[in-house]
Amino acid sequence: MGLLAPNAAVAGEARLNGRELLGADPRALRDLRGAELAMIFQDPMTSLAPHIKVGDQIAEVLVVHKRMSWRDARASALQLLEQAQVTDAARRLTQYPHELSGGMRQRVMIAIALACNPVMLIADEPTTALDVSVQAQILSLLKRLMRERGMALALITHDLGVVAGLADRVVVLYAGRVVESGSVGKLLRTPSHPYTAALLRSMPRIDAPVSEPLIAIRGQPPGPRERIAGCPFHPRCDLARANCATERPEPRHVAGSLVACHYPLAPAVNPS
Amino acid sequence: MSSSFLTLDALRVYFSVSGGWLKPARKLKAVDGVSLEIAPGEALGIVGESGCGKSTLARAILQLVDVTSGQVVWLGRPIESLSVRQMRPLRDAMQIVFQDPLASLDPRMTVGEIVAEPLRVHRTDLSREQRQTEVAQMLERVGLSRDQINRYPHEFSGGQCQRIGIARAMILKPKLLVCDEPVSALDVSIQAQIINLLEDLKRESGTSILFVSHNLAVVRRLCERVLVLYLGKTMEVAPSEQLFSAPLHPYTRGLLASVPIPDPDLQPARLEASLTGELPSPLSPPSGCVFRTRCAFAIERCAAEIPPLEEAGDRRQIACHRWQELSTKAAT
Repeated sequence: MGLLAPNAAVAGEARLNGRELLGADPRALRDLRGAELAMIFQDPMTSLAPHIKVGDQIAEVLVVHKRMSWRDARASALQLLEQAQVTDAARRLTQYPHELSGGMRQRVMIAIALACNPVMLIADEPTTALDVSVQAQILSLLKRLMRERGMALALITHDLGVVAGLADRVVVLYAGRVVESGSVGKLLRTPSHPYTAALLRSMPRIDAPVSEPLIAIRGQPPGPRERIAGCPFHPRCDLARANCATERPEPRHVAGSLVACHYPLAPAVNPS
Repeated sequence: MSSSFLTLDALRVYFSVSGGWLKPARKLKAVDGVSLEIAPGEALGIVGESGCGKSTLARAILQLVDVTSGQVVWLGRPIESLSVRQMRPLRDAMQIVFQDPLASLDPRMTVGEIVAEPLRVHRTDLSREQRQTEVAQMLERVGLSRDQINRYPHEFSGGQCQRIGIARAMILKPKLLVCDEPVSALDVSIQAQIINLLEDLKRESGTSILFVSHNLAVVRRLCERVLVLYLGKTMEVAPSEQLFSAPLHPYTRGLLASVPIPDPDLQPARLEASLTGELPSPLSPPSGCVFRTRCAFAIERCAAEIPPLEEAGDRRQIACHRWQELSTKAAT
């Protein structure tokens, strides 16, 4: 999205439909953001302007990107709110963000994000601040919108249950690196990386026998300033051997997923 | 029933909310007639969505908010109208762990001072050396090391701060430990460490726990019994294994279906089965059954009559006009 602070050193490539995003002209990037690539955030309160009516915040996107008149844009805003399954949408247009519940605010954020029919939506922990009941509603809304619009979704979350309901593919990050990536079924059923497996074992599940022990991951995730030689997960890994502390594992294909581990788990020994 | 330990009888906590200039203040019924009892050594979970009154209920038990009506009976003695001063000597036996681990620790005190403070207030008979020994033992018991005793809270991670909060609460060997969302602010990989610690402490100390959480999977692990709260009212109370395997109240069912599970075969279908709508404003709760506006089984009677909390089997109570009908339907 090009939203990082100026002190961020970004290298590599990021292409959307063949166009390079990194280092793109700020004006070109601004045209792209909201129009083709949209984003919703964890906290729907701080990502909405508190002093502007909800309807105008949605309409603004259309006025800026599609050069619509404010009158047409407000009419479209109503439709967008309805698509985001906001109840009582006409009245909501004239309300301010503080008058809405957390779930409603996130729906407004989704309406804004969808205004210009983006090809891709980035959702950064979109339901972490919400109750489980509202979380399920927002997730099924996102799922429906993806299907109807053929929109790609990058869902950033810490909750593997949320992943299971929505994602086709999963990328597991640890200390800034990809440790495992693959299809959702493969990754959640037979994880190859010890970190993925440990995450699954450490989560209390509502459908698993209580007698099963909860196996915590010892220690804590490394701070952003910490530099760990070798595999970044080795200080917390039960399967670490001597070379894990010295050689960094390169990602390689193991049993259908991409795994950065010297000693990936064989499918047979994994928890089901 | 062992009513001698902790009993709440028709507890109500109302807050007065200003309606605006020249408008009369309105009543927010945060807790509206909740009765419950906790036995010695028992862990009771209080679950529900944000704004259902679960934290207020926990705070009312500890007399951290004023009780509007009803009784809190602690070890045979009503405590809801005690003054701050009368309450103080009772506090050593009832302690609390808060949600935000860093915000609940004084940033200018060392970890040793924080954990020793309850002893300085309640155990004036202890010498400085005895105090230090107890603090060091307690820190080790919650998984911190003795040499961290002179450090300040900001030097610790969230999980470690929560361990300090638990050490501070447990050092007086309380009879009741209230935990208000103790793992909600922690990273998933750290949550399991704290859950396991609480499980160990409960087993070793025999302390009763009142565990307030919106995380049903955590409650299921730690609690023998669960109370489901909705808009300040009890919907269902049941032993954990019954509540999670065969929920009776439509709200409990919806809540359980909303909890995501990391299973790509089951989870997509669960998403569709979860609760609809949102919690109504507690300032203007629905008539009759407060849950009826989101209930798929609501009938006319639900809007007219408040369902009483009925006995529904062994140690199980439920407030729903249609529970019997619905449970037989579910069984067939």
